[in-house]
Amino acid sequence: MSARRTLRLIWFVTWFNVRMLLVSEFFILNAFIAPLIFATLGFFLFRSGGGTAGHTLLYVALGAGMMGVWSTTIFGCGGAIAWQRWEGTLELLVNAPSRYDFILVGQTLGAVVFGFYGILATLAWGVLLFGMPIEATYPLILPLSLLAAIVSLASLGMLIATTFVLYRHASALSNMLEYPIWLIAGLLVPVATLPFWVRPMSWLLAPTWGMEAIRGAAIGTEPPFLAIVLCFALAVVYYLAARLTLVFVLAKARRDATLSLQ
Amino acid sequence: MADVPAIEAVDLVRTYRTHTGVIRRRPLTVEAVRGVSFEVRPGELFGLLGPNGAGKTTTIKMLITLLLPTSGTARVMGFDVARDTTAVRQRIGYVFGGDRGLYDRVSGLDNLRYFAELYGVEPSEQRRRIAALLELVGLTGRENEKVEGYSRGMRQRLHIARGLLHDPEVIFMDEPSIGLDPVGARELRQTVRSLVDAGKTVLLTTHYMFEADALCDRIAVINSGRIVALGTGADLKDRIASRTIVEIETFGVTDDAVERLRQDHEVSAINMEEREQSQILFVQSDRGAHITQRLLSLLGDTRVGKVVSREPTLEDAYLHLIATTGDDEARAARAASVQ
Repeated sequence: MSARRTLRLIWFVTWFNVRMLLVSEFFILNAFIAPLIFATLGFFLFRSGGGTAGHTLLYVALGAGMMGVWSTTIFGCGGAIAWQRWEGTLELLVNAPSRYDFILVGQTLGAVVFGFYGILATLAWGVLLFGMPIEATYPLILPLSLLAAIVSLASLGMLIATTFVLYRHASALSNMLEYPIWLIAGLLVPVATLPFWVRPMSWLLAPTWGMEAIRGAAIGTEPPFLAIVLCFALAVVYYLAARLTLVFVLAKARRDATLSLQ
Repeated sequence: MADVPAIEAVDLVRTYRTHTGVIRRRPLTVEAVRGVSFEVRPGELFGLLGPNGAGKTTTIKMLITLLLPTSGTARVMGFDVARDTTAVRQRIGYVFGGDRGLYDRVSGLDNLRYFAELYGVEPSEQRRRIAALLELVGLTGRENEKVEGYSRGMRQRLHIARGLLHDPEVIFMDEPSIGLDPVGARELRQTVRSLVDAGKTVLLTTHYMFEADALCDRIAVINSGRIVALGTGADLKDRIASRTIVEIETFGVTDDAVERLRQDHEVSAINMEEREQSQILFVQSDRGAHITQRLLSLLGDTRVGKVVSREPTLEDAYLHLIATTGDDEARAARAASVQ
């Protein structure tokens, strides 16, 4: 398959997945409403703790937005595969002549792109209700940071989704993986406040650097180039790991007949 | 390539490992397919006929690369289904019966456009191809409606259009007419016939004998994971051509009475069909219609309605094959496999 066809396939699957999520009440709640609730709780918590400076509010808003993006990513990957298995389309996707890893890239990208609305929503929420100032220390780097964060979340989502292909009840993992990543990746509280033994785990998670890249560009004191590079580097590692896992997973699924419910 | 069979299965075996029990889980091995071999010629419409659980869907899933055979080999257009998966997938289309396998919340057209992309249909070709397929399956004008509002027949036709998007050489259809009304089923048969007329190879599974008889060039009857007969519809009918079928309508026939008929040395096979108020007994015998009086006396006090004596049909041949093969064997195999 040519590079042009591959890009077209990924774009098409991404677009289709966004459309599918747009007609799902669960995802609309998850991506549109949940981040606003997270942000509101965060604003009140920080306000009661005395942290009312503009940067603090922006820190909270971005973190709450990313929490929403991660929730949408993890449910968009795991939930979507569980749903595809239920409606009988998973077999069709896996058995299509196109490479399944490209299809999975499109699906996870679709979930992440859909979820990124959460960041915009929490920023608007902060401005309208809490008087949060909108500013960015490095406005020209911010788009690159956002792209890095999208890629980092999508690649981790894809790696996790590969296991969802194999196990019928793997979507239950979605719930288990939501809160820990919020904490470990520094979306809820800074990584520096976590116990020292947790931090190496944080550094291995691309969303940690995605969050770092966005916050660095918005409220940092120096350009977040290291975080951006690490986002892309980890994304490559995740993608290669996902591809290797998929080879094993798809062979096992054909051996164990786990792709359908019938 | 002319000599290469479109589909070739050699000693295909597929076992599933599962568990029984909740607290004391015991491993259980189920042999779904036990040494299936057949060939389908290019351009042939081949039927796979068998009861539920006979191994039809498992066989198809191995042939379309969704399942790995436990042992044995299979080739589609000369490509091994276990190893050359991409080459096989590029050349096959498949249609499963039932409601599943579509994105309900978007339109039929969106479904087709999505799968056209996944199946590698050239972008410049997609519009023309989708329009032609919508026309073929009779969904032109309804393509912009959401699939969740489609009737079962429309969904089935959309399945067929999806399966044909990349113009495959070999098409697998697993009970495509299941749940369709008679008109829908007839239209589906016409579509299947037109595919074969266009040079496609079709492997079709069905429960309906008349469908297999009317459509298929050759039929393989599968029971308990084994092919128990293979030939044209006429070949299969010839197996019991010398027999007569006596259809007896009864009201409240007892198991004992049926057993008395079954034990009679002049009865070759017996099947029963439950109707709303009555039961129809299909009795096969080599003695012709002369056996009728004897059968009625064996039924004793059972209330009897209409009695008809007739020539055997493919359905009778099928029922005879299913009744005389497999079931005991399958039970024995299943029991023996508990480890």
